[in-house]
Amino acid sequence: ALDKTHGVRPDLLARYAPQGSTWKCLDGSKEIAWSAVNDDYCDCPDGSDEPGTSACPNSSFYCRNAGHIGSSILSSRVNDGLCEPECCDGSDEKPGVCPNVCDEVGKEYRKKRDAERKMQKTGSKIRSTYIAYAHKEKTRLEGLIAELEKEVATREAEVARLREIAEHAESLSAADIEHKQKSPLYQSLLTHHTALKSLQREHKKHLEREKALGEVLDSLRTGYNPNYQDMAVLEAVRGWETLAGLPHINDVRKDESEGAGDAAAEGQVQEAEELEEGIWDAAKIEKELDKLLKEDHTSLLLQHDKHIDAPGPSILFDLSSYVPDSIRPEFEAFRDIVVSWLAAFGLAKPVDVSGSADFARQELSDSEHSLKLTENELKEARVDFGDIFDPKGFGPEGEWKKLDGLCLSKDTGDYTYEICLFDEAKQKPNKGGSNFSLGKFTSWDTQQEPGTPAYYHKQRYTLGAKCWNGPQRSVELVLECGIENALLSVAELEKCEYQITGTTPALCTPPTDDDATGKDEL
Amino acid sequence: LKTGDWKTCATSGFCRRGRALSARAEEAGSSWHSPYSLDPASVSIAPADAAFTASVRSSIHPDAKFGLDVRVHEDGVVRVRMDEVDGLRKHYDEAASWSLIEEPSISHDVQWTVGKKDVRAKFGANEVSVQFSPLKVTLFRDGHEEVVLNGRGLMHMEHFRTKEGTAVPEVAEADDGAQKPLQVNAAAWFEGEEQDAWWEETWSTWTDSKPKGPESLSLDINFPNHGNVYGIPQHATRLSLPATTGPDAEYTEPYRLFNADVFEYLPDSPMSLYGSIPLMHAHSAKSTVAVFNSIGSDTWIDVKYPKKGSTQTHWISESGILDVFLLPGPTPEKVFEQYARLTGAPVLPPAWALAYHQCRWNYVSSDDVRGVQERFDESDIPVDVFWLDIEYAEGHKYFMWDQKTFPDPVEMIQDVEALERKMVVIIDPHLKRDSNFPAYQLASESEVLVKPKSGEGEYEGWCWPGSSSWVDFFNPGAWDYWKSLFQLSPRADGKWSWTESTAKVGIWNDMNEPSIFNGPEISMPRDSIHYGGWEHRDVHNINGMLFTNHTYQAAALRADPPLRPFVLTRSFYAGSQRFGAMWTGDNLGTWEHMAVGLKMVLANGLGGMSFAGSDVGGFFGNPDAEMLVRWYGVGIFNPFFRAHAHIDTKRREPYLLDEPYRSILRDMIRLRYAMLPVWYTAFHEASVTGMPVLRPQYTVFPKDEAGFAIDDQFYVGASGLLVKPVTEKGATEASVYLAEDQVYYNYFTHEAYRGSARGKHVTLPAALHEIPVLIRGGSIVPTRERFRRSSPLMKADPFTLRVALGADGAAQGRLYLDDGETYAHERGELVWRGFSASMDKKGKGRTLRIASEDLASRDPRGAVERGALGAYEARNAFAGAVEPVRVEKLVVLGLGARPTSVRVEGADGGELEWEYVAGVGADGKKEGKAGVLTVKDPAVSVARDWAVVVKM
Repeated sequence: ALDKTHGVRPDLLARYAPQGSTWKCLDGSKEIAWSAVNDDYCDCPDGSDEPGTSACPNSSFYCRNAGHIGSSILSSRVNDGLCEPECCDGSDEKPGVCPNVCDEVGKEYRKKRDAERKMQKTGSKIRSTYIAYAHKEKTRLEGLIAELEKEVATREAEVARLREIAEHAESLSAADIEHKQKSPLYQSLLTHHTALKSLQREHKKHLEREKALGEVLDSLRTGYNPNYQDMAVLEAVRGWETLAGLPHINDVRKDESEGAGDAAAEGQVQEAEELEEGIWDAAKIEKELDKLLKEDHTSLLLQHDKHIDAPGPSILFDLSSYVPDSIRPEFEAFRDIVVSWLAAFGLAKPVDVSGSADFARQELSDSEHSLKLTENELKEARVDFGDIFDPKGFGPEGEWKKLDGLCLSKDTGDYTYEICLFDEAKQKPNKGGSNFSLGKFTSWDTQQEPGTPAYYHKQRYTLGAKCWNGPQRSVELVLECGIENALLSVAELEKCEYQITGTTPALCTPPTDDDATGKDEL
Repeated sequence: LKTGDWKTCATSGFCRRGRALSARAEEAGSSWHSPYSLDPASVSIAPADAAFTASVRSSIHPDAKFGLDVRVHEDGVVRVRMDEVDGLRKHYDEAASWSLIEEPSISHDVQWTVGKKDVRAKFGANEVSVQFSPLKVTLFRDGHEEVVLNGRGLMHMEHFRTKEGTAVPEVAEADDGAQKPLQVNAAAWFEGEEQDAWWEETWSTWTDSKPKGPESLSLDINFPNHGNVYGIPQHATRLSLPATTGPDAEYTEPYRLFNADVFEYLPDSPMSLYGSIPLMHAHSAKSTVAVFNSIGSDTWIDVKYPKKGSTQTHWISESGILDVFLLPGPTPEKVFEQYARLTGAPVLPPAWALAYHQCRWNYVSSDDVRGVQERFDESDIPVDVFWLDIEYAEGHKYFMWDQKTFPDPVEMIQDVEALERKMVVIIDPHLKRDSNFPAYQLASESEVLVKPKSGEGEYEGWCWPGSSSWVDFFNPGAWDYWKSLFQLSPRADGKWSWTESTAKVGIWNDMNEPSIFNGPEISMPRDSIHYGGWEHRDVHNINGMLFTNHTYQAAALRADPPLRPFVLTRSFYAGSQRFGAMWTGDNLGTWEHMAVGLKMVLANGLGGMSFAGSDVGGFFGNPDAEMLVRWYGVGIFNPFFRAHAHIDTKRREPYLLDEPYRSILRDMIRLRYAMLPVWYTAFHEASVTGMPVLRPQYTVFPKDEAGFAIDDQFYVGASGLLVKPVTEKGATEASVYLAEDQVYYNYFTHEAYRGSARGKHVTLPAALHEIPVLIRGGSIVPTRERFRRSSPLMKADPFTLRVALGADGAAQGRLYLDDGETYAHERGELVWRGFSASMDKKGKGRTLRIASEDLASRDPRGAVERGALGAYEARNAFAGAVEPVRVEKLVVLGLGARPTSVRVEGADGGELEWEYVAGVGADGKKEGKAGVLTVKDPAVSVARDWAVVVKM
């Protein structure tokens, strides 16, 4: 018969002793004969009477593994004819079935463990530089914040000063400008401006729509396997390929000249439209249109006036050149009087002051802009400062700060996957076509407690580009300790949900003393 | 469902003609008569056999000649064959040859007698009559009409004609001067005025060229004394087929048999699906009969119940000859036996194939497969098989592993096989037209691909890999080619074979209807050309079966000695049961599909395809936890138990569920594993007798009319397990119908229920973790209740016997065991035990004797499929190997009194340890908890005779 303590965990050994000829199940629910322990029949509801057999489901078996580390296996593995790697002493099977390989296994284990410890050590050294970096960053940010606060104060004062000047200048010329703005030319200019702006908006909308449609069709083209049954989908894909000059995906090369298809596609691209003389192409439209729309029309109006005034502003001013030299002084004196009168009645422009108002306004707006930039910088610096040692941000020791924005990539043949840490994950087709966002950084592993080591083994990137006929793409980045920051594998386990694995020294904590004393158990 | 993808009878020329013919007959009423008659002078009776031939003429086409051949087989099956003689062309006449396992033996005892009106033959209680004019074939039993062919005069075999000849039919006959009103078309009263879709037919964007013209076959088959018909799978409908014509018609379309890849099929429809078995059972309390209409072309079947207890059917087929087998029954068992003798019994699968299969479109890499395996093991959930769908193959070139995701296929398979698990890999029939793809290139070289309508070159269609071609398995030249692809060791001729595989890899044949995305009705154009010049229309429904047939043969050759292969098919035909399992295709994750899947599995079992199941969880959709749990409740009682999911679905492997659902699923899957001995024994019986593994109510109680339409509960083989899976949302209890005056025990709670001879419904608890399972009183159920990672790892584990005493205090059970993977059982390497319990009144008390005896020695012919075993050696090597396997527990249900002693009978049988929980006895009328005796470890061998004696 089997030893009564066969398969018993060391901490429970004391409880496997008879009381007279009987024994109580560990949960106390039943008293059975001592002979019924390890007799390959399940008597106890908690399965405790069969530590060494497979008779009770959901219980466990302990292998001592002398020469290595003891371990527990599920009772379903006992006496099933297979030698469990966890039981190197072979005690999980009847004698003679499995050899005792604990010596070799132990040796192998120690070798592997040493290598792991070495890697962990190297990794943790790198990690400590990350932590040092975080502290440096903290100091830098503290300085930066102080500096920026000072700068904000300075800029605020400057804005206040400029505002006063601008308001003063404007108060002088407001009425004048108002008058000028009534000019039909100016009104027409405004209408043109509105039209141009509207057209630009519409154009942009169409471009975005076209891009979105292109993306929809691209993802249809690359991902239309599932409902392939539908020939209408196939037609759509082929139509898109023709339109976009893409090679036929999944198609069969009927002739062996592989390049034929690609060459045709290139030809299509080269067949660029010829533009009429003077007409802008797309790039120029984009560049020039914004410039046009940014023009300050009021100052343009004033410049216009200046320009009109310059060579021969009005007959009054111009007349002097036709007046004989003899009477010119008198004429000019008269003219000035008339002009001043006219000016008094608002019929002609005196010396132009609106230019300086416009300049002041520009100065103010520039200064306000600079203030805003500085304020934003400050805000960002404060957020960054807060994030550094936030358990939900760059970790309690700030060990992740160094990796913020670091881009890692993995080429899987058809695609290159890129993750810029704490930012965005992307899928880039290697054979052309558009990139897809696989999602933006959203969180660490929400299944785990923030601050615990397990929390930092997973990152979630969500709300990426939507899949055709599917969800928005997302990534689960699974990380392990390693001496390099690298991506190892990419798998789309479910439609549009990617699991990417990688390594980083940020996860390498120094090997603990416990690990080192593990030897004692051997 | 896109209805526009599918023809209706009205948009299918020959079906339209068939239904119009039926409508004309209906309108004509009693004045209607069949134009076909037999020439009595032509009757020629074979001298020694029960066979005769005769000439048949049609009054509307006097020039057309037909030959009739009627035979009575040794087992009383009547085969009626009619074909056109000396026609312009030949009708397809090979359908039966692909279905039948051999040419049936014709009776030498039965005698045909030629009378004035008919030819008759009597055998047993049956008599068959072939009436001369109009031609009518009737099978009688005890003087009652059982089956009648052409009783309604709808039989019509369209003879081959020339397009020109028929344009001016019989007008020239007006020889007495063209004065009398011209009968433009003498056949019009029968065939109709128009040449409706005779020479060409356009449907949707496809035109069928119909080079042979009209050649359809219409046949009415009536069962005047049977009120229920079953079978003609596969349709998503009830087991007892609802009417398609007549006042109580539930469908407007006829049932259709046309193998088709129907995307998102409806859960209640007569539409055709992936497979077709033209076998119909007709049943009444008096008898069961069946008709096997051996035809391979598109076939539509109208079912009508003209009055209670009577059925009329009308079969309209696109092409082929009339070749009908009348199976006289008279019991369900006899019908199954007769059908198995024709087309073969279900093949005995490898034992592991009855365990749990885990599939998904797709496990994406070899590491993914390893990961799934790990998660199962961590959760201690048993699983035997991991499946790979089409994405393992680079560019969907089957056999060719995608090196990027499966860089180490053999190592991966070995990692799975290390735990005695298996892998199943998909091989579809479409071959990517790529000259670098050996399977295509070799087929192209040997010219064994299906040809386009021109008859030249290779037919090209669109499927998963894009442009594809199809192997023509009707071409004998294709058979060796296909086998050679599966060869594991490098071929001597240096040609390619699938060396990156193992001998145990199972094969999944999908898309073999065939499914062709750009073809008419998602299939092959009907005018495509197969071997021998036959058109695809002639062989369409048979096509899928030939693919699995040759895959099965190819897979069997990979090991020496050969291993029983596992092949799963989606498309099937009569005879497919010889090559493995089928599943009900791409179902939806809805409660309706869950419920109808069960009915479909029952119907497939009637058609011989016992090894059937539906995708657990539903192929499409994301079932919630409740639905998934219930679906596993259905799945563990499907003969083929596989979870599968579409690529767009969320992962739903059992270990992914939250508690309590994960534990419920684990316990359900473990229950399947515990019951594997029951399943294997039922499959063994099916492989010998043809009896279905899942038995609908009427097959077990053929005289109980209240059970004829029941299709949501069933018995598992002959085990006595009665199961009613829950397929309703939110259910907490279930009503189960008991047809007999017998005690039934709840498998889990041991609650005793009493049935009634008049029929009675009892209510069982059915909370989410509960499956209504009863053990019929009088049954002994063998189980193995230790859970392993996979089923082969259970081979040394002990058995538990549940002895459910019947009202008479007795019980019987059976257990079949063999090595589960080779063909050694065909040489008698097996253990086949009969268990019995009987109550004796001796002296003061009563004695219950529970015993095990060897069945194989008693009935060696019943031990192996097709009676191959001449003699049986009880001390065979396999029996020796399982000798140490013991019975570890007896659970006796329905013992009303406390025992005084329990001993193993014989020499030194000491008192055994036992426990008794008092409760109601099997006899009497009381309900409530049954009295249960648990005997601890009688330590008797499962391979030996023994008896345990319980004294009270």
